[in-house]
Amino acid sequence: MSRGSVVFPFVDIVGQEDMKRALILNVVDPGIGGVLLKGEKGTAKSTSVRSLGGVLPCRMAVKGCRFRCDPSDPDRMCEACRANLGSLQTEEVPMEVVELPLGATEDRVAGTIDIEHALKTGEKRFEPGVLARANGNLLYIDEVNLLDDHIVDMLLDSAAMGVNYVEREGISFSHPSRFVLVGTMNPEEGDLRPQLLDRFGLSVDIKGERDPKVRAEIVRRRLEFDDSPEAYVKARSEETEALRSRIAEASRRLRSVRLGPEVLDAVVTVTSHFGIDGHRADIVMMKAARANAAFEGRDSVTAEDITAVAETVLSHRLRRRPFEDSSIDREELEKCLQNL
Amino acid sequence: MPAEPLNYPFSAVFGMEAAKDAIRCAVCSPGVRTVLIRGPSGTAKTVLCRSLTDLSGKRMVNIPAGADTERLFGSVDIEKFLDTGKLCLEKGLLAEADGGFAFVDDINLMDERTAVAVMDAVITGRIMTERDGISSVQAADIVLVATMNPDEREMSDHLLDRFDVCVCVSPEEGQDARKEVLSRRMAFEDSASEFRKSYSEEAEKERAGIEYASKIIPLVQVSDELRLIISELCAKVGAEGVRGDIAVLNTAKALAALDRRDTVTRSDVERAAAMCLVHRRRYDAEPPEPPEPPEDQQDEDDQEEPPDDQNDDQEEPPEPPEDRQDQEEKDQDEGTDSLPRLDDMMFEIGRQFRVIDYLGKGKAPKASGSRNGRRSECESAGAYGRQVSSRIPDGKTDDIAFGATMRAAALCQKGRERGSMRIVVEDQDLREKVRRVRNGCTVMFLVDASGSIGARRRMSAVKGAVLSMLKDSYVKRDKVGLMVFRRRTAEVILPPTRSVEYGYKLLEDIPTCGRTPLSAALVTAGEYMTSYSRSHPGERCFIVLMTDGRSNVASEEGADPNEEARRIADSMRIPGTQWIVVNTGNGFRLFDSASELAAHLEALYFDLEQLDADALAASVRSAARFG
Repeated sequence: MSRGSVVFPFVDIVGQEDMKRALILNVVDPGIGGVLLKGEKGTAKSTSVRSLGGVLPCRMAVKGCRFRCDPSDPDRMCEACRANLGSLQTEEVPMEVVELPLGATEDRVAGTIDIEHALKTGEKRFEPGVLARANGNLLYIDEVNLLDDHIVDMLLDSAAMGVNYVEREGISFSHPSRFVLVGTMNPEEGDLRPQLLDRFGLSVDIKGERDPKVRAEIVRRRLEFDDSPEAYVKARSEETEALRSRIAEASRRLRSVRLGPEVLDAVVTVTSHFGIDGHRADIVMMKAARANAAFEGRDSVTAEDITAVAETVLSHRLRRRPFEDSSIDREELEKCLQNL
Repeated sequence: MPAEPLNYPFSAVFGMEAAKDAIRCAVCSPGVRTVLIRGPSGTAKTVLCRSLTDLSGKRMVNIPAGADTERLFGSVDIEKFLDTGKLCLEKGLLAEADGGFAFVDDINLMDERTAVAVMDAVITGRIMTERDGISSVQAADIVLVATMNPDEREMSDHLLDRFDVCVCVSPEEGQDARKEVLSRRMAFEDSASEFRKSYSEEAEKERAGIEYASKIIPLVQVSDELRLIISELCAKVGAEGVRGDIAVLNTAKALAALDRRDTVTRSDVERAAAMCLVHRRRYDAEPPEPPEPPEDQQDEDDQEEPPDDQNDDQEEPPEPPEDRQDQEEKDQDEGTDSLPRLDDMMFEIGRQFRVIDYLGKGKAPKASGSRNGRRSECESAGAYGRQVSSRIPDGKTDDIAFGATMRAAALCQKGRERGSMRIVVEDQDLREKVRRVRNGCTVMFLVDASGSIGARRRMSAVKGAVLSMLKDSYVKRDKVGLMVFRRRTAEVILPPTRSVEYGYKLLEDIPTCGRTPLSAALVTAGEYMTSYSRSHPGERCFIVLMTDGRSNVASEEGADPNEEARRIADSMRIPGTQWIVVNTGNGFRLFDSASELAAHLEALYFDLEQLDADALAASVRSAARFG
């Protein structure tokens, strides 16, 4: 939670290692497809996501572009940027956490006709919405399971192709909208639609801390932060900076991490062993393991990397009956990975 | 054109042969216009459809499921009107797709009426626009390719039937296949352009094959024998109308042409039937035993060959004589024992259906299951739900449709004091959004938990039914709740929910004891559901009362409990809510008070032969659907 614009430092969140790692891996490789955080209230889900904003690296963007297109990727640029491909100026912009509030209407999410401009000039112009701001950033939805159906449809559509198509109100427009989808939910308030669930690359089941000592520590840090947020954040600025540059370094190194055929073998062995349908799990596990290796400073993927990400990749994809435990048996997992 | 990343190449899509065939047929044959690929997430449905631009030079227009009618069918071009004063049509998406392909990802998420209108435009080849002073009919030659994920929502039969071809896909199984899929995908993401280059040769071959097929399709012959078989197949699977017959015929021809043959074979028909009939079969109608008299069938078949069908092969020039002879010989061969062969074929197709059912994990369309699409949409009263079009508001509106309002205003600018504005909006120009919401229904179980005989069994059946309904509730958007009555009162155990986990926790332990306060139960349930349906407008609600109908506690001191319950039932009217009474008093039916109570409640009524969870859930589902 934040007071004013100051957010709790990410490096000072106690415990919840799986959640923190899942968030970081998605920043290292946005292609993983986002993360779903499931858990009871008051388990630092929202705090962590907002805090993540403090350690996000900078990225290059086209100067003056409404969608902050990536200058190195002409295939995915907006129309305007592609038209001026030769003369684009670039600037460094921070990656951000863009929030999609539950009550948002479809015109604010997808963008709509700029009515003021239309009345003044008689011309139709597109006014961008949340999906435009989300391009290249994190799109955060608190209580994602309570989101209106038709807004979910829109998200699914953009998430599938990385493009937001608006064909309403006489407006015909499309722009790049590639984002890391981060959602939190309390499963007691209803399930997530299956198609949306599968879109989340990773999912983490979050349990509240039971250990009194740990709880006391959480409360102590919280109160200290609330007392004087700026000073608190400043005191952690060194650690924060260190984490930010580690993340930035990992995403630079991502492409050079070796993915040998034995990794391919191991990934498919694990997913088939746990009876996972669909190819998304395979692809996500490969990417997440690679991001983990990059973050750990390794130049090839090891069994450790796969073990580290397996549960978050698989837990929401297991064909389980309700009320069955959805966790992955570590021993089984290690047996699968013996040969790597 | 929008910024779109490079496509994954068609030839690099691993496996999925039936789906690839469907796409190939759509590209090469003018007789295959609408193709649906259905399957769970992560099966490369979308990837495959988008890659079809590799196969032909024609463009593909992306139609998002949220497109509104004015963008789909076109509307008045305001900018032009303001500049020139002329009413011109601004082309919609369908008109843009003319001469090429239209792609709708997740078509089952599209507003159903809109989807029907889109498909009709594609099938009839006409785009009609009637709005804002524009009246236009354009001819359009469009091939529509769509995907859907049946986990999300089933489509209604009349929409499904409009697809010539419907192919189910499933993820590859087997580790080697999965590895291949994975390594291709990673290579593609590494460098899309390099990857495409490595498949360019295969892509070239693919294109050449399709081009050749499209040339010879008009020459492909179908024997009368096979035509008859096609119609019998369609009759046997219970396909309504003749869309199925025509689709199988055209698809079989396309398959033959893709195989560089000018004659349709039995195996073409088998493959075509599996592609065109799976979504048309009716589960409820058992296939008729004796085959139809061949003459009638034949006549019908010939008549149904529509004159406007793009390639009526009967008028095509005859084949070279040698081929013709061979063909006749073959026909005679086949003719000698056409009946056993037909049975063979039914077996083969039945087998393919079973495989497809199996792949769909039992989620293939069922006649009853797919109809629920119809009930699940309604116009929304407030400013929520998806906008589908606009209209002149009845009185004031807060939910202004800007585009429509601007158009209406722009057309009436004459004589208005404009100042620095190009368009001045007056009250009469205001248009409001028409929104539709998808609603499930809410089923509240109201269960007798008194300590009478069978209470335990009843409760366990109800719990099972509640859970069974919750498990598929997120597909149908239904909510399920539970109230019980015992001792002197009724209480809500489970407020209407879609969460299985939450439901399970609350249902774990419900004690059964005490007497049967039926009157109190009716009153409490009535109050609860009245306020519930007020706060959930547009939602259809059901109260499933499970009782033997015999009350033994009256609310008023000294009143006859049963008499009182019936009196309360008479005055019970809850908006948007239907009662269903399930008689659980098995055994003594001498005084059937449950059915009497049902009559007083104007309720749907049924007995349960055997009180088990699945039977109960099934009965309630069907009552809620058709009630």
